[in-house]
Amino acid sequence: MFELVHKRKRLAQVVLVLLVIPFAFFGLESYTRWGGGKDDVATVNGAGITQREFAEELRRQQDRLRAAFGPNVDPEALDTPDTRRALVESLVAQRLLADAARRAGLTVSDDALRQTIAAVPAFQAEGGFSRSNYEALLRAQGMTPQMFEERLRQDLMLQQLGEAVGGTALVSRAVSERLAALSGERREVREALVAAQPFAAQAKIGESQVKAYFDAHPEEFRLPERLRAEYVTLSAEALREREPVAEEAIRAAYDSRASQFAVAEQRRASHILVKTREEADRLAAEARKNLARFAELAKKHSQDPGSAAKGGDLGYFGKGMMVPPFEEAAFRQKEGEIGEPVQSDFGWHVIRVTGVQAAKVRPYAEVRAQLADELARQQAARRFAESAEAFSNIVYEQSDSLKPAAERFKLPLRTSGWLTRIATPEAGVLGHPKLLAALFSEDALKARRNTDAVEVSPSVLVAARVVEHVPQAQRKYEEVRAEIEARLRADEATGLAQRAGEAKLQALRKGEDAGLNWSAPKAVSRRSPQGIPAGALRPLLAAEAARLPVFAGAARGTEGYVLYRVDKVLEPEPRPEAQRSAERARAAQLAGARQMDAYIASLRASADVEIHAANFEKRP
Amino acid sequence: MAMKELDLEEQEKLDALKAWWKDNARLVALAVLAAAITVAGVNGWRWYQARQASEAGRLYDALTKAARGGDAKALRDAGGALAEQYPRTLYASMGALASAHFHFERGELQSAKAQLQWVLDRAASPDLRDLARLRLAAVLLDENAPQDALKLLEEKPQDAYAAQYDALRGDLLVALKRTEDARAAYRQALDKADAPGGEGSAFRDSVQMRLDALGG
Repeated sequence: MFELVHKRKRLAQVVLVLLVIPFAFFGLESYTRWGGGKDDVATVNGAGITQREFAEELRRQQDRLRAAFGPNVDPEALDTPDTRRALVESLVAQRLLADAARRAGLTVSDDALRQTIAAVPAFQAEGGFSRSNYEALLRAQGMTPQMFEERLRQDLMLQQLGEAVGGTALVSRAVSERLAALSGERREVREALVAAQPFAAQAKIGESQVKAYFDAHPEEFRLPERLRAEYVTLSAEALREREPVAEEAIRAAYDSRASQFAVAEQRRASHILVKTREEADRLAAEARKNLARFAELAKKHSQDPGSAAKGGDLGYFGKGMMVPPFEEAAFRQKEGEIGEPVQSDFGWHVIRVTGVQAAKVRPYAEVRAQLADELARQQAARRFAESAEAFSNIVYEQSDSLKPAAERFKLPLRTSGWLTRIATPEAGVLGHPKLLAALFSEDALKARRNTDAVEVSPSVLVAARVVEHVPQAQRKYEEVRAEIEARLRADEATGLAQRAGEAKLQALRKGEDAGLNWSAPKAVSRRSPQGIPAGALRPLLAAEAARLPVFAGAARGTEGYVLYRVDKVLEPEPRPEAQRSAERARAAQLAGARQMDAYIASLRASADVEIHAANFEKRP
Repeated sequence: MAMKELDLEEQEKLDALKAWWKDNARLVALAVLAAAITVAGVNGWRWYQARQASEAGRLYDALTKAARGGDAKALRDAGGALAEQYPRTLYASMGALASAHFHFERGELQSAKAQLQWVLDRAASPDLRDLARLRLAAVLLDENAPQDALKLLEEKPQDAYAAQYDALRGDLLVALKRTEDARAAYRQALDKADAPGGEGSAFRDSVQMRLDALGG
């Protein structure tokens, strides 16, 4: 280095200066922001999308799946290479939009942020936004308000850009009218089935064909591996039923938590609110002279519009609901008396206490059931926690039987029906993916060991062992011969029906009578195609009144071949104005979504995007 | 002795360095000054840009709020201020698109056209220009000027928007009763929609339906 400086002094010095400048003005981050880590799932314009962001998004997606399909869904099963890829693509799209928004200097004002947060129902308590609810909820998600606000700001920015591109699309009225008219066009269609069934007798299936099919498709004639298991379930629920809570314990809990059942003192008061001390004194004196006139005075003079109309009445309130000077006076004064006026931020108050509900404690009888339930739940949870480890240990240590665990915890030993590797609803608790995998493991099958105790749902532990196992088996040719023959015959018959149907279609188009049994007519449109496949629907709906009848045909699975005919062009369904405007709105929405996709595609085309597939592969 | 030699050598290098400094101090100082001015300038420019954007953002918020509330006057005021004071910001173009949408929904085609034309002439973002052109052509179709719209769409958009341009060209050709050309345009739209990363199936179905109605 020094040698280099010596020889090329000027160059080296200039280089040094240039290296230092960014530190001086921008700090260290100028060097660390770019390039990204080698573990990133994708790189967008030089900045990485980290594994962590990916994992978080994956977790959110799985939460959504669980919310949509219930807790028994196995998100792992829906976590395929394709869904992972799609997830990365959506993160890339978000990043592209965020970059575009940032480059263009889009901003979200603090005001807009505040309004959005305040409008989230989950953050609200009675009558408005609650800071403590907000913070508690974020804590539960492992976020600080700063993190959340940063993320929300980003989301709002994306939303702003998305709105501006996708929310402002215009669809020409001429076009949306034409689209609506096209999807509402109707034809009267009748159909006739050329059934496959009658052709079955004609089909000739030789023994060699059956054998060839059997040899070519061995996988179709395999019986899956299956097993029956016995199992023991330890749950807090079961433990709870076993052990009632002692009356003394409930009593003791009631005594020790008296404060929880106390209802604090409530008072009712009326007041007159005025601007000055003098006026307040005057009104107080006047009211004391004739207590009955208080309401009248309040109506006339009070500047608290809410209560003035009600003669100053504020209803019952507890401590903490009124401004401090008011509260202090209201809880100090005797009932009926008019105290010295007090001052608050609102002005001067003349207060009269009109009701007192003394503090009281809810009686034992009223809260007993609730307490008993709570204690029973706690006790069961405690017992479960105490037992869980011993349970797990016993099934692990005495791995050749579940009896010791069942006897020790007095639990029934149950036996399941047949289970396969793929969970079915009948599998019940044993259908839990982890437990099922354990049952089909070498250890459980060959060595006949107990599985580990698996927590299949909160506070439910299940251990199981295999009692009967049938490996995958190939069915014998003799067993399945008839089945194969029937299948081949049906296939052949379907083919014959199709050929016959196509011949009839040709005949019909030539104007010949094909000897068919036509169904009653039904109205068909693009909007409600009545089960007609797209290929047949097109010629039917293209039929014009001047050139009728029009015929079409389509295969219908193993049933045979269906012929369709149009004899009549129907008037389109009438469309009331409400429907028209809904259709226009829908067309604009579709166009907007399309334009948004195109916008993202365009951003992507001019950006430098790399997807690192190896970094988001699922690892066992 | 070895120590001394080293010292000497070091001394020599140090002297050389000092001499170099003497010769070049001015140059280095100038370089640092120039760099500082550049950085200050860049930062100043960024600050100015950010300030412009946040002012424009406020006007844009007011504009979208007016659009939601159906307040045409407030919308015009905010839109006018945006276009006049901050024409180079993305917010100005976003505002013009939102205004065009607002006017179009109310059947005020002239006003919608003016807004879209503004985006076409002034927007810095090529994407928004492509979108504005597409939308302007749609408005022209509703004004019974499909010929003008076709002319407008002769300008090639970026690839991402090409399928939608083709589909609208098909619609315009239908209006001009040029059935054969319309079919070709719809087929092009379908081809482009089929390309990898192409359009969603709702778009395909819709174009296919229009094509079918022309007899395939």
